[in-house]
Amino acid sequence: MTGPTRDAAGPTDGTVGRHGGMAGVVEIGWRGLAGRSVAASAVKSLALAGPAVIALIRIFTGSGWPMGGLVAACAGATVLIVGGVAAYDVARLRATRWRLTADRLELHAGMTVRRVRSIPRDRVRSVDLRADPVLRLLGLTVVKVGTGEHAADGDELTLDPLTRDDAESLRHALLLRPARGGGRGHQDHAGNGGSGEDSGDGGDAPLAELRWSWIRYAPLSAWTFAGTAALAGVVWKAVDNLGLEDLAEQAVGPVWDWVADHPLPAVTLLLAANLVVGALGATLLFAESWGHYRLEREPGRLRLRRGLLTSRSLTLEERRLRGVELSEPLLLRLGGGARVKAVATGLGKAAENETEDVGALTPPLPRPLAHRLATTIATMHPAPGPDTRPAAGPGADTDADTDAGSGAGSGAGSGAGPGAGPGAGPGAGPGADVDAGLGGAGLVPHPPAARRRRLVRAVAVTVVLAVLAGAVSWLVPLPWLRAWVWAVPVVTLPVALWAAVAGAHNLGHALGRRHLVARSGAVVRRTVVLERAGISGWTVTESFFQRRAGLVTVSAVTAAGDGHYEILDVGRGDGLDLAARAAPGLLEPFLLR
Amino acid sequence: MSEQVSEQVSGVSLRPPRHRVDPRAVSWWTVQWLILLVPVAAAGAAAYWVLTERPPWLGVVTAAFVAGCLALAVGAPRAYYRTERWEVTDEAVYTRKGWITHTWQVAPMSRIQRIDTARGPVQRLFGLADVKVTTASSAGAVTIAALDHRLAADLAERLTTRTQATPGDAT
Repeated sequence: MTGPTRDAAGPTDGTVGRHGGMAGVVEIGWRGLAGRSVAASAVKSLALAGPAVIALIRIFTGSGWPMGGLVAACAGATVLIVGGVAAYDVARLRATRWRLTADRLELHAGMTVRRVRSIPRDRVRSVDLRADPVLRLLGLTVVKVGTGEHAADGDELTLDPLTRDDAESLRHALLLRPARGGGRGHQDHAGNGGSGEDSGDGGDAPLAELRWSWIRYAPLSAWTFAGTAALAGVVWKAVDNLGLEDLAEQAVGPVWDWVADHPLPAVTLLLAANLVVGALGATLLFAESWGHYRLEREPGRLRLRRGLLTSRSLTLEERRLRGVELSEPLLLRLGGGARVKAVATGLGKAAENETEDVGALTPPLPRPLAHRLATTIATMHPAPGPDTRPAAGPGADTDADTDAGSGAGSGAGSGAGPGAGPGAGPGAGPGADVDAGLGGAGLVPHPPAARRRRLVRAVAVTVVLAVLAGAVSWLVPLPWLRAWVWAVPVVTLPVALWAAVAGAHNLGHALGRRHLVARSGAVVRRTVVLERAGISGWTVTESFFQRRAGLVTVSAVTAAGDGHYEILDVGRGDGLDLAARAAPGLLEPFLLR
Repeated sequence: MSEQVSEQVSGVSLRPPRHRVDPRAVSWWTVQWLILLVPVAAAGAAAYWVLTERPPWLGVVTAAFVAGCLALAVGAPRAYYRTERWEVTDEAVYTRKGWITHTWQVAPMSRIQRIDTARGPVQRLFGLADVKVTTASSAGAVTIAALDHRLAADLAERLTTRTQATPGDAT
């Protein structure tokens, strides 16, 4: 099994790949996945065999089996499981074939039901590489090719796994396309001139690289407080699965008695232990997620690499970027840190066992650095003017996203003429705007009514809680509960008032030459820098109470990220005026001035 | 309540879109609300009759609840009709909706990816249809609700032609 696939592997530098009709288009003929995958699966199946063996031991220890029989049974079970998994993987590998033609990436897979997946090469928007420790040791990588279409199922094609060299050359072949029409010539050079390997990445310094001193921000996350409980849950589940709960109860019993006897020191100790374990867990998580972190710029795209044990690599086309988001959760904000996320089209959802947001571009890092990085990323995409757009884009429904960047210059069809278009600004201007916006100094605050609204809401919540507390203390016959339930509204009031004031303080917006900046959030402060050319519509909402306060929520609709970004509780006139100026010609015809 | 709302505060405001929805929408929505609320009201009344000792004070409360349900079913569609408006220009689709919370939506022609018409079972009885305008955003489509079904088909046709003629790739 290993033979044929190994022979086929390794099409580096286009030596195996043929050159098709168009110069520089690497084609790769039919081939299978990496045969070494069988070894990886066998190793991973040990994780399944282990619990099975333990279960066998548990069941048969009491039943008076001879030791030899038990060992034989365990060995048999292990062989059966490992062999079964390996056999399955062999069958899967045999059934899977993929190729790269001049136009499409095709995958034939499925043992019982043959499935054929095929995606056009010019729709490929991202290539993710991911290798867990076992795969890494064997030099393998799982490749996920995304078309950048919206979160629909089946717009991803997964090759699980390829050898590292194969994966890397496939990534290059897919993303280094030759120029088609205007505006992409720079990629052509990299595609032809480079060897197809790492030398094609260009010699630029990375945008950001991990400094281990950033690990000081790791404990400043919710994990520090909730992590221990989660960990305890996981440990308990493992203990339960292994059938050791009796043992665990015996161990925990005396501890519990001691806690009951000395409540005050015990609670203090438990809280302290919770913090220590949580902080340690958060730090380890940071190290695993962000070890070897490196964010670099390749021609026309961003490449993010990270992961200490499981290595991950995400390649994102720059023309999919519609802006950046600066995220500052409360603790991180107090500690002077921030994180940068990408606002990009078609990023999809995070994988299930992934600890980070798909858009996450950086670990928590010092705020000035985060500002600088966000500004760089927001302004580097050379937002093409309306004239680089293809002459006509027939079938807007079918051609979705294939030419994301070139179409981005149109705020409102013909309304955004050259010069009036948001892409008109030169390189230096927008950077300054964005930087000022991120810092908060360049943001326009929202009217006092927004703060009043939040204060009223805080008081209302407290009143409701107080009424509930009153009902409880009147109805429930437990004396200790009757007394303690009042702590709820008493504690809520200052917290809610703080959140109201902080939330109002954090509201703000600004309009730069190329970007719209909006900030909000009390606990997690988010500052979104959205490219004006990426705004594809407006939604204005006005609730009953907002109407009385003269406020509206203006939200910019976009194809990227969350789909819409809100400017919360802005004064009606200001908000509408802002929206009208941010995307010229779009809202103007519907305004009364 | 709706027409004057926008003009109350000086400064910039959004003008109402040009067209009202089809008047039959009021009957349609009323039927929809009745389908939803009649069982609720009936359940309330039945619970009062079967499960309680039928004290008079609770009878008054139940009667008020039933009356409230019916009033809502009759009143809400009329309130909606006053705010629901739409307009299609050469550049954009513009709608307003909502009774308590007003929502205005603008989608430019250049970003429209798909036009659908939809007709629910009850809606069909009244000869009405919705036109759904989808952009590349995941935030949801702009819906022009309750148009005469022939008008809706025409409009969808027109919008499709228009968006195909508008350059841009709709992101």
